[in-house]
Amino acid sequence: MSGVPEDTMSRGLPGEQTAPRTRREARERYRGTERRQARGLPSTSTGARSLRQAAQPGASLGAGHLGLGAAVLTGLEALGGIVFFLVHWDDYTNPWMTATAWALFVVAASCVLATVLTYGERLTGVAFGLICVVLACIVTLDFIGIWPEHDVGHFATASMAAGFALLPITTLRPAREVIAAIVALGLAFVVYAAVSTSLTTETLPGIVTMLAVTVVPPSVALFVVHRFRQLVQRELDRVLVQSNVGAPQFAVGMLASDELARLDLAAEKLLDAVANGSDPLPLSDASASVAASLATELRLHLIEGRRETWLYHAITESDNLGRSVAVTDPSALAGHLTPAQRDGLLQALWQMVGDGRTQQPGVPVVSVTLGPVGSDGHPVTDDTMDVPVVIESRGVPRRRLGPAAWTALQRIGPYTDSVREGVLHVTAHCVVNRHPQI
Amino acid sequence: MELLAQERDRLLRSTTRVVGIVCALVSVVGVATSLAVPVLPLIAGFACIAAMVGALVAFGTNGSTWWTAVTVAGGLGAVTVLTAAVAPDDRGVIASALVPLAGGGLASLLMAQRGHRVGLVLAAGAGVVSLVLMSWASGTVLSAPVSGVLLGWVLIAVIAVWISRSIPRVARRIYSIGTAHRAERQASETEAQRRQGARLLHDTVLATLTLLAHSGVGVSEHAMREQAAEDARLLRHLRLGATPQPQQSGDYSLTRTEESPLGQTLESVKQRFGRMGLEVAWHGTGQVLLPKNVLDAFLLALGECLENVRRHAGVPEAHVTIVHDEAMVRAMVTDSGVGFELDTVSAERLGFKESVVNRLREVGGDARLFSAPGAGTTVVLEAPR
Repeated sequence: MSGVPEDTMSRGLPGEQTAPRTRREARERYRGTERRQARGLPSTSTGARSLRQAAQPGASLGAGHLGLGAAVLTGLEALGGIVFFLVHWDDYTNPWMTATAWALFVVAASCVLATVLTYGERLTGVAFGLICVVLACIVTLDFIGIWPEHDVGHFATASMAAGFALLPITTLRPAREVIAAIVALGLAFVVYAAVSTSLTTETLPGIVTMLAVTVVPPSVALFVVHRFRQLVQRELDRVLVQSNVGAPQFAVGMLASDELARLDLAAEKLLDAVANGSDPLPLSDASASVAASLATELRLHLIEGRRETWLYHAITESDNLGRSVAVTDPSALAGHLTPAQRDGLLQALWQMVGDGRTQQPGVPVVSVTLGPVGSDGHPVTDDTMDVPVVIESRGVPRRRLGPAAWTALQRIGPYTDSVREGVLHVTAHCVVNRHPQI
Repeated sequence: MELLAQERDRLLRSTTRVVGIVCALVSVVGVATSLAVPVLPLIAGFACIAAMVGALVAFGTNGSTWWTAVTVAGGLGAVTVLTAAVAPDDRGVIASALVPLAGGGLASLLMAQRGHRVGLVLAAGAGVVSLVLMSWASGTVLSAPVSGVLLGWVLIAVIAVWISRSIPRVARRIYSIGTAHRAERQASETEAQRRQGARLLHDTVLATLTLLAHSGVGVSEHAMREQAAEDARLLRHLRLGATPQPQQSGDYSLTRTEESPLGQTLESVKQRFGRMGLEVAWHGTGQVLLPKNVLDAFLLALGECLENVRRHAGVPEAHVTIVHDEAMVRAMVTDSGVGFELDTVSAERLGFKESVVNRLREVGGDARLFSAPGAGTTVVLEAPR
């Protein structure tokens, strides 16, 4: 037992996990394995993998389609720019430079589109760098072409399209890289405007508009992509947690069952090693301590007390609910609820949590108390009992709760609600079978 | 789906708010830098823009059609006042400064009008009016401000359609992930129950691991290896999907039987302790059929008692007498070892209450302990048949 502390076991047998080779691998392993496992899903499960994928900066769940839409926008803007340029061809002193810039833009855009469609919706850092270099060339060519006009606000076309070209990239690369590109482009415009154009009341409004058209669209795209990702992650979280609705009265949870399988396998390996003599008897201190901690953990996993209700698992597994919902259920009454009642309770919680922010830090946004049974107005018979489900919500104010929240509450059972000091209190009569069949 | 639709509408509304406000502010800067508008109309125009920004903020929270109307009125009012107030020569400049407001600020309303027919008509009307105003201000339909505004409306319409179409798509993928996840959860729950159900197996594995934790000292090397090999084999069977029962013959029952014969399994307990240096002598019945959970509890309790004898009694031999009647099966575990004072050594210290008494009480049985220093120890275990 001496030497190795017992909790090393929770990270696998010594030597079983290889050390991360790169810093990136270490970071991903930390993010992927440790954090998700803490939430109660084994890292190899579909759910955990999807959550990891949705949190990645690249083309994650659904963002690829969004990127395609952004490419359509870029295309439309470029088309508009080209038409404008051709209509005003005669106004340009030297239209050929700008025409070259446009040609380069079209060729580069086609190449990027073809690459993305062929090799999947991802963009490496090198490819992004290359795109930035090409965009810089386009901007430079256009700037040189419109220099004789000395009016950037009314003549810049291809360089303006460079800002729109960043739109699809917002779905493929981390936000900070795109922000850097936007800032660089904006600065280039400001400097060029100051140098090439005399800043008068005639030209300034045009320049401001030009700068806005270049810089605002990709910034807004970053915002939209960010919100879209949040939406997808939240929905994914909700759908994954929803699987608890059909769980038995008590469940060990996915992580515990994964752990048990892992411990059994580790024990099997150790016993095999002892049996075939590859671990000579008497055992070394290290192997003996591995055996000791394996025995301790197995014992912990085998005792009945590790079983919890679906509600406990749902709250601990969810990123959103886990942060903001507190459950008090000392007699494990949640296990008695039917799937329909569970679904109602879960939906009501999702509606009440909102974005999970409150004024008072440290106080849970929503607290749920189940029981005690047999209190006033909550009768218990031989077959059924009336479980009081008390919800206190500090999240979404009562008037902002939509009809979806109230129908969800209705599914738990008849309820009464009141607001005291800005806290919404709901008491539902949840009539359940005393001997649930699930 | 209901929740997702709410989220989608929130996303579109907040995008409207961000785009609308940023574009309106850009126009404010543009108009201000032109210095072309006289003071009074400038104040009126900026007041209209302020109303528009306020309406956009409110629109972002509840999406009501009234706020759409206020935004449209504010925006169009600002465009009208500002372009009408300046000299005809300066109109082009002001028009180009107002392109973001007309082509982005007003157009952004288009995004969040799902299910609001009136709002959609209002927004589309605002688009037409702003195009007319821009053509008039810049003097021609082919001017840069007009094409800029038109482009803005087209782009925003594309964004609105595309975001609303992306969300059901991603929702379908999320739901299929959810289905897979539900199946995985059920499988893992069944698997955990199967593994936890194999209590007898885990009990012998735990006993062996505990011996190994003391480096296997005190047990012959050969016996230790043999025990480890058998336990590893049982674990492998468990891993491959069977629910093995430790038995004497090395041939495992691969199906879950409701009743198991006691005799065979007692023999495996005897062998296990034999390897560890405690000779167990059996007396009495050979064949009793017990329900599986009772059998498990009974054997686990018996194993614990024998383990206590092995560790504490200081003798190499223990006697187990088994008797049964219609209702009960009883086992009496006796040794002639050192014994102890019942009052001085608490039952908890021996793990007696937890691992023996509680296990039997769970299945409706009980256990009693008799001992005195120097007079050995006797434990009586009872379980219902």
